[in-house]
Amino acid sequence: MRRRGLRTSCAAVAAAATAAHTCAAAALAVLALVALAGCGDGGASERAAAPGAGGSTVRTTWRDDGAGEPIRRPGERLRLRRALAASGQRASGAGRELARFGLVTDVHVRDEESPARVPFLDRLGPPFNSTFRPQEALTTQVLAGALRALRAERPRQILEAGDLIDNDQTNELDQALAVLHGGRVDPDSGARGYDGIQDASNPDPFYYRPDVDPPVHPGLLDEAQRAFVSPGAGVPWLPALGNHDWLVAGEVPVTPRIERAAVGDRTVIDVDAERALQELGTTRPDTAAIDRLLARGLPGREVHVPADPRRRMLSRAQVVRRLRAAAGVPGTGPDLDYVRDLGPKVRLVVLDTEATEAQRLAEPGGTNAQPDDGESAGRGTGSLTPAQTAWLQTQLARAGDRWVVVLAHRRLDAAALAVIGSHPRVVAVLNGDTHHNSIEPYRVAGEPGFWRVGTASLADWPEQARMFSLRETAGGGVVLETWTVDPEGGALVGISRELALLDAQGGRPLHEAGRRSDRNARLLRAPA
Amino acid sequence: MTSAGVRARPAPRRPGGRVGSPGATARSALGEGVALLRSGGRRSLLAAAGVALAATMLGTAVTVGWSLQTGFDRAAAAADLPDVIARFDRERRSEVEGRLRALPNVAAVAFRTEIRRAQITAGTGTTDRGVVEVVGPGRRGYAIVAGRDVREGSDGDVVVERGVARAWGLHLGDPVSFGRFGTGRVVGIAVGPDNVAYPLASAPRVYVATNAATQERFGVNVAMVWARDPSRVDITLQQARATSFGITDLRFITRDGVRILLDRAAGIVLALLVAFAVIVLGAAGVMLGVAAHADVQRRLQTIGVQRALGFPRATIVGAHAARAALIAVPSAAAGLALGALLAAGPTGDLLATLNELAPGAALAGPLAIALAACVALVAAASAWPALRATSRSPVALLRGGEVAVAARRPRDRRLAGPLRLGARLAVTRRGRFAGTVLVLGTCVAIVALLLALASLLVALRDDPGALGKRYDTTVSLPASSAAAVRRIPGVQAAAPRYEVQGADSYALGEPVRLVAFPGDHTVFEAPPLASGRRLRANDEAEVGVGLADALNLRLGGTLAVQLEGGGEVRFRIVGLVRALDDEGRIAYVRPARLLRAASWLSPQIAVRTRPGANQKRVSDGLLALGATPVAVGGATSDNARLLDTLAALLRVVAGVTALVCLYALVQALALVALERRQTIALLRATGAGLRTVALLLAGVVLAAAIPAIVLGLVVERFALAPAVGALAAGYADLAPRASAGQALLIAVGVLVLCAIAAAVVARRAMRVSIVSGLRRE
Repeated sequence: MRRRGLRTSCAAVAAAATAAHTCAAAALAVLALVALAGCGDGGASERAAAPGAGGSTVRTTWRDDGAGEPIRRPGERLRLRRALAASGQRASGAGRELARFGLVTDVHVRDEESPARVPFLDRLGPPFNSTFRPQEALTTQVLAGALRALRAERPRQILEAGDLIDNDQTNELDQALAVLHGGRVDPDSGARGYDGIQDASNPDPFYYRPDVDPPVHPGLLDEAQRAFVSPGAGVPWLPALGNHDWLVAGEVPVTPRIERAAVGDRTVIDVDAERALQELGTTRPDTAAIDRLLARGLPGREVHVPADPRRRMLSRAQVVRRLRAAAGVPGTGPDLDYVRDLGPKVRLVVLDTEATEAQRLAEPGGTNAQPDDGESAGRGTGSLTPAQTAWLQTQLARAGDRWVVVLAHRRLDAAALAVIGSHPRVVAVLNGDTHHNSIEPYRVAGEPGFWRVGTASLADWPEQARMFSLRETAGGGVVLETWTVDPEGGALVGISRELALLDAQGGRPLHEAGRRSDRNARLLRAPA
Repeated sequence: MTSAGVRARPAPRRPGGRVGSPGATARSALGEGVALLRSGGRRSLLAAAGVALAATMLGTAVTVGWSLQTGFDRAAAAADLPDVIARFDRERRSEVEGRLRALPNVAAVAFRTEIRRAQITAGTGTTDRGVVEVVGPGRRGYAIVAGRDVREGSDGDVVVERGVARAWGLHLGDPVSFGRFGTGRVVGIAVGPDNVAYPLASAPRVYVATNAATQERFGVNVAMVWARDPSRVDITLQQARATSFGITDLRFITRDGVRILLDRAAGIVLALLVAFAVIVLGAAGVMLGVAAHADVQRRLQTIGVQRALGFPRATIVGAHAARAALIAVPSAAAGLALGALLAAGPTGDLLATLNELAPGAALAGPLAIALAACVALVAAASAWPALRATSRSPVALLRGGEVAVAARRPRDRRLAGPLRLGARLAVTRRGRFAGTVLVLGTCVAIVALLLALASLLVALRDDPGALGKRYDTTVSLPASSAAAVRRIPGVQAAAPRYEVQGADSYALGEPVRLVAFPGDHTVFEAPPLASGRRLRANDEAEVGVGLADALNLRLGGTLAVQLEGGGEVRFRIVGLVRALDDEGRIAYVRPARLLRAASWLSPQIAVRTRPGANQKRVSDGLLALGATPVAVGGATSDNARLLDTLAALLRVVAGVTALVCLYALVQALALVALERRQTIALLRATGAGLRTVALLLAGVVLAAAIPAIVLGLVVERFALAPAVGALAAGYADLAPRASAGQALLIAVGVLVLCAIAAAVVARRAMRVSIVSGLRRE
């Protein structure tokens, strides 16, 4: 549709040039020649990356002005990166588009009113710096904004790279799926309206209270609880499983005590966070330690909150089942590993990097030994079980002469990368989890290698999604064009962006936006 | 020559096509103005003197007002004062820096280790309560005003604060001893406007340097933050608070907060002075206008002649405006310069005590504007009556100008003889009479304001009652001792008084002081209730209007205060009070809720003695309980230098005002004596002596002085005093109204000036021969 529009436009301009008999027409002809010069492959490629009416950062982008306010800046053109290019390979000769897809990751749709949360740990700093976010009441609206912006880029699929929800709660998954499906979304939980730590009546000054604290946004929380209409993905969406999707706070397996706390009507405020940590005895507590602490009661003041049975926790199997059903992806096993073609000549392989974690936790006395992902000081890597490794090798072999894109929540470890690197048709390995925009070449001796692409979280600054367009180049190679996309929507999306920028434990100080070449780039890959 | 002593000039030629062109009219008016000026002689000099005196007042007012109003901003800019200063218990530099660098809107950070209770000996001073600021790399936050800054690695470099250098007589190169920590040498003198200067500040402050590694090893306890956008520093503070967990005893102060604290240190004095300067500014304007107006009134007959000769109106009006402007430019410039010079010294001293900088050459701008305003005002005030006069017929003007149309006034039988005649002569020229009354009235009002202001300053310094405090003594005893204190004979009431400094929880740059008494606080502190009601419950607060204005608080709203240490306490606002203390940034609460959030608070016992009680017995009783009684002071510092400089400033303004007053009287009398030479000569020819002439002239000035005194006192009481109060402290009831005694003193003073003026002018009149007097008019 887009290409047809461009051709029509070029034809009209050419017609105008033909009719250039007068001085005015001559001027038109000059303009037409300039325009025609852009109708070649290179130009078409440029325009393919350019946004429609969406939030593509190629046209304009939101940047940190240094004074705590996101400001619109001119867009960032795609930077050509040739680290994996063949000699003489050129992007300007890029041909037909083989695949065009979007990606959202680490959305962390959050029931910010839930008694099962531990936001008071946030004040202790790393590794707890994501247990509270100033913009946490707006996660559904941001996801809807990201989908709106991505749809304007006309993807054929949207990948979801894990951590769709934050705390393994049923209502979080309900809300996230509602946003992805499109239609009416009710982001509220408990009683109608906001009942949580950001309420102006909470005298704990460590939390941002939008009604009273700067930047003051009166009524924000009430607005955030109102039902709204999501545009939905509009195209097939393909999920990967993240640790927050099936572990409480991304760390702890569900226990009956935690389940009771989640659906209960009591929550603890004014928590002595340091004492709680001392009682846990570690910053990476195991299930038993947390259960012991819950049994004793958190050191703080308990208050009544409206109970909500929709807050019940999900098992890993339940999450996988619901994601499969919602996205319509194949598979029946316990792990969310699957393949799906992104086009006739491109195959997507999705890996469940939580499988090893699930195995570890299932062992007697097993703990979540892997540090939690993008929000912890030591970012973990994703490993594969032997069965997954075998399955991966099989799928890569079956891909034949298709180009392959691999998607996993965590950044894959060396063993998994070695398997992938041995397959010359893999163009890119995409991950979430890090909350960081990154693009780096992965070189393999004797093989063309592939690009590793990380994408920022929608929950932290810069709150961006990503678009991809895979094209053929002359000589049998490909070029993967990628650009970041800012969520678009009403005031709430803008406020979320502003608060994410301000968050002193968020993406801004951690430079999660990455370098310019980590955001918008044209990645050349030599022929297989 | 006309009878008015002005040469009659033929009407200017009107070349065809250029009749009335603006350029030609302006040139013609300027020429006429110069001619008028030349012909004026002594009158021009007298007018110039009047302008100069009023301009002197103006210069004083501009210098005082501008210097004090902009002193902090100037010093803050020169010192590169940080936008936020955070104080906390000592921490590793890297720990604090990591958190600060993560904050939004941060342009730069720097760290200090503030060592309190340091032993410092230098020059003539020594203390064991000194403050040594160990500064690290980066921006400093103070301005070097002499010598150079300390350098990292240069052991022994010491920069001393200017207040310390002045108080202790320190100069560059002088040795400084830090007791067992060694010695150093003064390499620079600095102004650090984050606090008032020593000795207004209790502790002398010096700066030494260290490097980042040492700061990491020994820790830092002060962080300075410069914002990229200072107007958005609130969002920086919000995030700083959210990420401050684990940093103990954390206190923030913003640049605006520093300004508020400095203003507090100088009490209400600065605001009063600035407000006073504004009032004087207005008064000087009135005087300038009236003097210029009166000057033209004398020339009505001349204007009549000019109109009869066919001078265009524009030329006549322009000539008077030009003459006034030509007089005003040099005299106003001289007056302004004199006023600035007179006020510069005391103002500079006052600024120095506050660690602020004098404006220096920057004052030229406001003075230039004042000069332009002076000239414009004088020119306009001269042009206006000339314009009105030219609208009347030349015949009416030539008949005697204003005298000719003066209404006949009923005879006042109570005045007899020369006094009555003098009074009649005075009121005959209505315009001049009104002008003289206005100028004298303004002077009376200003002097009344000065005296009232002086009394108020003393009261603010010495009298806690001026702040609404009804207790007179405090003692450091536990709260449980209040009952024992109450049993002391002579004690009317005693209760624990808690006081804690905090910041508005939603706007962390806004300092708030909470004062808590159990029970009825109005027994001890009773600022007037502006609206709402007195507090009755533990969760209620009465809030100062100053605080309510700053934070946009309303009755029924919530006051949320973040206390030192991080706790937050909230109260429902039930009353707004006109508290003067702390610029009204104060709130009265009950202690229960406060103590839950700040259990470390310890009270003082506020003691209210019975009227007429034996203070010695009360004091002995308190001593017997093991406490040392401390008398409660006022709002302003009792620093002698501050009060001396204030007194000097007020004296300057008072002196200039008295001169203006005397000038107005002499001017009025001299004109009457000149115009009524024939009358005076006739009196003398019939045997009248010096006494009779003096009485005649006294009648003239008394006719103006008596209504002027009444007018001035009324204006001071009902206009100026409330205006100064509102300008200086709109959040409180603070109108400096002159007392009856002060009014009487002013009246006597003006009458004495009248007598002096009458005597001086009478003597001069007696030196003119009778024949000459009879012939001239």
